[in-house]
Amino acid sequence: MNTYETLIVERRGAVGWLINNRPDALNAMNNTMRDELAVAWRELDDDPNVRVIVHTGNGRAFQSGADVSELATDGVGMERYRDSVERFDLHFTAWHQKVWKPVICAVNGICAGGGFHFVADADIVIAASNAQFMDPHVSVGQVVAIEAVALLRKMPAEAVMRMALVGRHERMSAARAYQLGMISDVVDPPETLRDAAQSLAEKIARNSPAAMAATKRALWNALELGLTDACKAGARELVSMWGHPDQLEGPASFAEKREPVWAEPIGAEPSGASTDRPSS
Amino acid sequence: MSATSTSRTFETLVVERRGQVGWLIFDRPAKANAMDATMLDELEAAWLQLDADPEVRVIVNTGNGSSFQTGLDVAQLNRQPEALREQSRRTRRSELRLTAWHNRVGKPVIAAVNGTCAGGGLHFVADADIVICSAAASFLDPHVSVGQVTAFEGIGMIRKSPMEPILRMVLVGRHERMSAQRAFELGICSDVVEPDMLDAAAQELAEKIALNSPGALAATKRALWGALEIPLRKEEP
Repeated sequence: MNTYETLIVERRGAVGWLINNRPDALNAMNNTMRDELAVAWRELDDDPNVRVIVHTGNGRAFQSGADVSELATDGVGMERYRDSVERFDLHFTAWHQKVWKPVICAVNGICAGGGFHFVADADIVIAASNAQFMDPHVSVGQVVAIEAVALLRKMPAEAVMRMALVGRHERMSAARAYQLGMISDVVDPPETLRDAAQSLAEKIARNSPAAMAATKRALWNALELGLTDACKAGARELVSMWGHPDQLEGPASFAEKREPVWAEPIGAEPSGASTDRPSS
Repeated sequence: MSATSTSRTFETLVVERRGQVGWLIFDRPAKANAMDATMLDELEAAWLQLDADPEVRVIVNTGNGSSFQTGLDVAQLNRQPEALREQSRRTRRSELRLTAWHNRVGKPVIAAVNGTCAGGGLHFVADADIVICSAAASFLDPHVSVGQVTAFEGIGMIRKSPMEPILRMVLVGRHERMSAQRAFELGICSDVVEPDMLDAAAQELAEKIALNSPGALAATKRALWGALEIPLRKEEP
């Protein structure tokens, strides 16, 4: 087990929690957090006792992107990221780290700029009723690309373009994010967000881990391909579960009105995956 | 020779014409309209028949009873696995012939979701051009709760509506349902009507569409569905 300076990583039953923990800095991502996130995602994805992962933040912000005070004071600035960004060799979200367990992003407050990486790359997003979304990149002379590119594939494009271009001069409410299908729950009162996330995660943890991993691969990989090619790649994921013990256990447990006992996942490495994992 | 005189009879579907509107109705209400081997076979024939019928301009797809469509008939799968062997082969090769899209139907297709739409039933929502719902309709995808993978249905849905609610549906499985109202908000369907008004609403919408140029409708449909296959701007080869 790893120790973390900027994150809290813990287990609550079958649910792994990854909590941004720099509340005084609005959970901005400094170098340490960036490195620790890469380790934490893999730790939770590789833990056989974890079935679902929840990602949230301590304090009044969820995530506010790169730590601007670190960038401004150490003389290196954004240049530190040039290599990894140019090569698109990133490791701080679940998607970057090829996490195939379901990931719920529970937005507890402000989500700004680079914080959208975690919204874009989660499977499910819920938010406290006082959460707010904005992307100030262009207001400080920065480009927004990767986070918004992913969001464009996942929700109505106009809303994403508006946020990217208006910058810090406007915020989107949790209620609007819900209307747009960017998030699927607005939790009120805000302090019940973690209970709601845990409860949702426990429902998901009742499903077949192997089937969920293959389903997740089929849908995320579909963002890479045309519709017909995506269906062909999806067929491989579908067929990869045929003959798996969960396919007998599922109907049997349903008929016998009991909870299913799923096969233990065999490592975190996908069986039918069609994408390569970055070397890390 | 009229289309009706050459049409085959169906055991698991009702296929009929109301004016210029062809209706394809799932008709195994006692089995929540689940697809058995017969229905799988009949669907292909029904889509092709309606698409070829010159009297039909628009097609409406709905279900009899309290369900719209609930996917593969798992009871039959357990009892007679050989009955679905051909379907397994087609699934493996991604050569399904269940929906209008699979069967390359060129006419506009309206899915009128009359009740529960579960699992493989989502194929018919993903692959329709227009979707309207009864207020009694609900959507869920129990695949992962019984150890099955969701692929085609989810892949089609995420191109046409926000992705997060679809990922949630396919990962939560049978432990949650989406209401017709939420499907409307998300743009998964474009109308929610009282249950006893659904057929009339579908017929009325279909008749409006039938006023338009069939040639222009078919070319427009090809252009828009074809766009799901390719980038927005791509250099000519």
